[in-house]
Amino acid sequence: MAELNQEPMTKAQLEYLRRQRTREMRQQLVSFGLMIFLTFIAFGLAGMEIIPAQFTIPIVLGFAFIQVILQFYYFMHMKDNGHQFAKLFMLTGFYFALAFCVTFVYIVWIGAPVN
Amino acid sequence: MAQTSARKQGVGSVIWEYLTTVDHKKIAILYLIAGGFFFVLGGIEAMLIRIQLAVPNNDFLSAGLFNEMITMHGTTMIFLAAMPLLFAFMNATVPLQIGARDLAFPFLNSLGVWLFIFGGIFLNLSWFMGGAPDAGWTSYASLSIASPGHGIDFYALGLQISGAGTLITGINFATTIITMRAPGMTYMRMPLMTWTTLVASVLIVFAFPPLTIGIFLLIFDRMFGSNFFIVEAGGNTIIWEHLFWIFGHPEVYILILPAFGIFSEIFATFARKRLFGYSAMVFATVLIGFFGFMVWAHHMFTVGLGPTANAIFAVATMAIAVPTGIKIFNWIATIWGGSIEFTTPMLYALAFIPSFTMGGVTGIMQAAAPADYQYHDSYFIVAHFHYVIVGGVVFALLAGLHYYWPIMFNTMLNETLGKITFWFFFIGFHMTFLIQHFLGLWGMPRRVFTYLDGQGYNAANMISTIGAFLMAIAVIVLVVNIIITLVKNERVGMDPWGDGRTLEWSIPLPVPYYNFAQIPLVRGLDAYWVEKKEGNGKMMPSESLGDFHMPNNSILPVVMSLGLFIAAFGAMYFPDGKEWAIDAVSGLDTKPWALPVLMIGLAITFVSMGIRSWKDDLGYYVTKEEVERDLEELERGGK
Ligand code: HEM
Ligand SMILES: [Cu+2]
Repeated sequence: MAELNQEPMTKAQLEYLRRQRTREMRQQLVSFGLMIFLTFIAFGLAGMEIIPAQFTIPIVLGFAFIQVILQFYYFMHMKDNGHQFAKLFMLTGFYFALAFCVTFVYIVWIGAPVN
Repeated sequence: MAQTSARKQGVGSVIWEYLTTVDHKKIAILYLIAGGFFFVLGGIEAMLIRIQLAVPNNDFLSAGLFNEMITMHGTTMIFLAAMPLLFAFMNATVPLQIGARDLAFPFLNSLGVWLFIFGGIFLNLSWFMGGAPDAGWTSYASLSIASPGHGIDFYALGLQISGAGTLITGINFATTIITMRAPGMTYMRMPLMTWTTLVASVLIVFAFPPLTIGIFLLIFDRMFGSNFFIVEAGGNTIIWEHLFWIFGHPEVYILILPAFGIFSEIFATFARKRLFGYSAMVFATVLIGFFGFMVWAHHMFTVGLGPTANAIFAVATMAIAVPTGIKIFNWIATIWGGSIEFTTPMLYALAFIPSFTMGGVTGIMQAAAPADYQYHDSYFIVAHFHYVIVGGVVFALLAGLHYYWPIMFNTMLNETLGKITFWFFFIGFHMTFLIQHFLGLWGMPRRVFTYLDGQGYNAANMISTIGAFLMAIAVIVLVVNIIITLVKNERVGMDPWGDGRTLEWSIPLPVPYYNFAQIPLVRGLDAYWVEKKEGNGKMMPSESLGDFHMPNNSILPVVMSLGLFIAAFGAMYFPDGKEWAIDAVSGLDTKPWALPVLMIGLAITFVSMGIRSWKDDLGYYVTKEEVERDLEELERGGK
């Protein structure tokens, strides 16, 4: 029906926005590079078998964890203001998920043979 | 614009208006009508169950039909009656209470209600299409996979569709309450109805995904040849129980928390006192929500989880009683010394305290794991959850219906008839369910279609059935009351109860489609009451009069839901006669049209999602002039 009646931005606002976006872009690219790098290392460790498997697994898991953090904070904007609720939700979600996994492993699969 | 002119149009355009509406007030009415319909349907099923059990060795219902009846009663009441009716009141009040013009995602709100309606219809079509589901509302996997025919498929697909609607609505309310509060409405000034809606919505967001996953696994097992729960093929049937109860226990809090919210508003209003211990109430609400996720295995004490797991879950369950107790005492302290007005909603609220507490007490008894071996699957459990669900949730729904009726329909339900309803319901309720505690302790099992003479169950069962008839009378009086009120249509003005405390009572009735001409400024807890006592009794605006943006109506939610509804039939008949199918359906005739139907249905849904995504729908502006005209008219019309 009606168009969105938005005011045009002032020059200063435009400048500010542009600088903001450039910085954002740089951060995204850096974290993207970092993630690619970590992935390469992980693949390399698993593929070339230079160190024993019992070391590789925790290292790969550690890298995965770092990547999750980077994903959330830089790509999904959790570092920005106004995301406290999103953080709270995710932490609660992680907590519940972890609790479910622990109980599942304990009482559904491992529990019975242990008894 | 569109809405103002719709007021004078014919039946067809009214129906079209409701099919396409994205207005939370009209969606509330849709939820109320659909939820009310399913409530009556579930009630009729309950009456049939009670008639069957009234006397020993009865053959009023056959054993198989009885199983279908209890399954459909439980499923209908929880998923299609109680939850949607609560959504009706949330939709009617929450945007008004926080000073918003609509929900955050009005389109999704409409999608939510239509998914629920189509899911509910699909589930109930089972009665006419070869038999209803018969494995209980919990649908434990070994039983539900063995169940012959398509009953369980109706359950799984119907709940999947309506569950998607619920999840969407939960996300919508959480977002709305977090982001769309009026200036000055801090978290600690939100009315308790809003708080409990927020926590219940968060519970929905976390609790429904496990159900969705569980039901998908069931759908795959029954319709697409997987083996998640099929023990012979290496599956594990206990996983269904876990998934179901990880959802199921939070679900009971999704139901009871908004009920707590409704009662908190009613107590404060009709005791004419500020809610006692507001911050403790908020804290208790959040704590209950959190604990609600830590206790699911108390439904599985007898499964054989082992003493350690049972002990942990028993203690966690008992811990929930603490915040619940805090709430009970706060309500009592709220009415203590208040100048109480015994309106119909207040009667329900007063009756709720002892009734719900009794349900809580039996809950604690069941939480003692060793004792639960005695109670489990007996009528004691039936008595417990009806005390909490009827004495808590249904009382709240009936109270809320009387209390919020003026906001939804601009008239008042008749108080005398309301009180008659209350007394019949209250007496009938206790008569039906109190005695069931004893039946359970005497050894009567639940979900068994009859009992033998001479076991001492006869008199108690007859009493229980008579009580159920009293509740049925109450509901009939209520329906009469509603019809009389709608026919008379005597309009009431603003703040019809005279003691409104929160923002929703500060709005002229009928509520303008944009809710607030100017978004109000909130100066304290019970914002409207603050202005009544310290200001001139009018909300102060927080913005100057100006144009504002509103969303357009859309038919797409109905089309999307219809697509899933059609697809569900395709999925359901897909395994018929296939050699890889489970025994329940492999003997049926093959249906070659099933796969095309599945694909057509999904295509309808995805195409309409595509239209929604790629075709811009920017909404429209309500102009300052129109709002000014409305305000003048209001001025001229007086009160
Ligand atoms: C003080 C709080 C509560 C406690 C400690 C509690 C405890 C329990 C326990 C231990 C069971 C399992 C009994 C068994 O199957 O052997 C149970 C069942 C049940 N409870 Fe509660 N409960 C509480 C509140 C509620 C509320 C508020 C509701 C609903 C609004 C509710 C609804 C149910 C239902 C529907 C069942 C039966 C499920 C089934 O097996 O079909 N409970 N409760
Ligand atoms: Cu429970």
